[in-house]
Amino acid sequence: MLRRLLFALLVLAVGCRPSGRPAVGPSQRIVSLLPSFTELLFAIGAGDRIVGRTQWCDYPPAALDIPSVGEGLPPNIESVLARRPDLVVLYNAGPNVTAAKQLERAGVQTVLIDLNRLEDLGPAARTLGRLTGRQERAESLAIALDSLAGRPPPPSTTSLAFVVWDNPPIIIGHGSYLDQLATQAGARNVFGDVAAPSAQVSLETIVARDPQWIAVLADSAVRPGFAKRREWRAVRAVREGHFLLLPGSLFGRPGPRSGEAIRELRERLDRGPHR
Amino acid sequence: MKWTILGAVAVIALILSIVLGPAAVPLGELLHSDIVWNLRAPRALLAFLVGGSLGVAGAGLQALVRNPLADPFLLGLSGGAGLGAVLAIALHLPGPWALPIAAFIGALAALGLVYRLGLIGGASLDPRILLLGGVAIGAFAAAITTAIVSLADAAELRNAFLWLWGGLSGASWDSALLVALYAPIPLAVLFAASRPLDLLALGEESASYLGADVEKVKRRVYLAASLLTAAAVAVSGVIGFVGLVVPHIARLTWGHRHRSLLPAAFLGGGALLAFADTLARTVVAPRELPVGVVTALIGVPVFALLLRRWTIA
Repeated sequence: MLRRLLFALLVLAVGCRPSGRPAVGPSQRIVSLLPSFTELLFAIGAGDRIVGRTQWCDYPPAALDIPSVGEGLPPNIESVLARRPDLVVLYNAGPNVTAAKQLERAGVQTVLIDLNRLEDLGPAARTLGRLTGRQERAESLAIALDSLAGRPPPPSTTSLAFVVWDNPPIIIGHGSYLDQLATQAGARNVFGDVAAPSAQVSLETIVARDPQWIAVLADSAVRPGFAKRREWRAVRAVREGHFLLLPGSLFGRPGPRSGEAIRELRERLDRGPHR
Repeated sequence: MKWTILGAVAVIALILSIVLGPAAVPLGELLHSDIVWNLRAPRALLAFLVGGSLGVAGAGLQALVRNPLADPFLLGLSGGAGLGAVLAIALHLPGPWALPIAAFIGALAALGLVYRLGLIGGASLDPRILLLGGVAIGAFAAAITTAIVSLADAAELRNAFLWLWGGLSGASWDSALLVALYAPIPLAVLFAASRPLDLLALGEESASYLGADVEKVKRRVYLAASLLTAAAVAVSGVIGFVGLVVPHIARLTWGHRHRSLLPAAFLGGGALLAFADTLARTVVAPRELPVGVVTALIGVPVFALLLRRWTIA
């Protein structure tokens, strides 16, 4: 009986409370859990509202001043909540879906965004623009990114293989962002027929397909260790030292700088091998 | 007759692994092709040596611990090798050989610890404690490995696990010749222990009555089998099922005499791994399957078939 009375009082109290909280407005405290989202938010002028980022968010330089909440995939829920966000932006992938539900239960708005390929960039920019009240800048950025994704690729003048790992050899196939990057820069991915974003292949397949370049995501100008391995020297591009060492920050993720990445890759391909 | 068939199977497996591959090499150019000479030939040789070594190591260990479930990797070596490999990647050790050397050292460290645990009851090596110690040390090393992987730069280390699951992608003349020079020594030790291993099957007490120096045999067999496995894991990661299934298949066909069982396990293991690797490279070309998947897919049905035939007969 007493419990019921208390419950009724509680309902009354809640019902009477003046709704001080405004209806869903532009987010003011955002935690961004993917480097690409951080870049997009800065590009649409909402960078100053980011209160948490992942340890990988290194661009623009101003992002480094924002506190990091760790790896981000999957996020550490407590360190995200400790930033007291009103919006958490997550990459749409398995472990993040569970994390988003946990955050929602804690009363934080979340959004899961796909960002795997060039054509995902425009919609992602628009979504972020809507959530931050920056629709106009987001729209003009989205138009530019859409046209980048819709542009017919130039005829390929050279060929490459993206090598992600050497033992076992793992390459980038069709359906990945890096494959699009290469195609748009005028290079044919010799593993463009592999439907998966990445796949394990035999070394002899790389030898037989004979790419002119071996592209590697690398943050230093040092050639990968496998360049010196005897079995890899059967690959002509390795023997001749035709390596493209691409910094991951610019080339490894789709984002507002994708156009720049394509241009720079193209320049590097045109310049030819240094040595 | 049995030996002729096994020998023929081994030769055919080797020939197939040199002739077949995802890249089309015309038969006429086989001998001049860079792909055949620099990639397929060393890989076939390495596959045969590793498979044979695992087969013999498995047969020896099964006799030593008198447990049909014994596998060369059960005694903690895979955990140690994995820890070594992950450390090499996490610490960015330079040089093309950093990873295999680190894996080898890790396997040796695990071997040493398990061996020390095996002697815990005194001067006599206790097979039961070897097994338990192997599982415990393996789990301990795996825990440290997982801790490193979850704390360090993730992307690179996930690939370390791929390496650990086994494969012969790293084969070159360097690694094949290294194993060809190294493996004969522990193999010879194991072959030389054939007779005492037969006696050991009767129980340690009976074996010592029959004139076997049981302690010496146990130590030699354990160390030789582990050193073989450590080399195998360093060049090709953890390739499962060969060391478990091949000794049993050999035992079902050749009986329990180690004088014929061990050579049969060597040829059978070599043929199985060479054949499995050929399939791994070709069936989903241009992609490649992890070879451990194929060894399990071939080895287990063959094993079940033989088991059925022998238990019915």
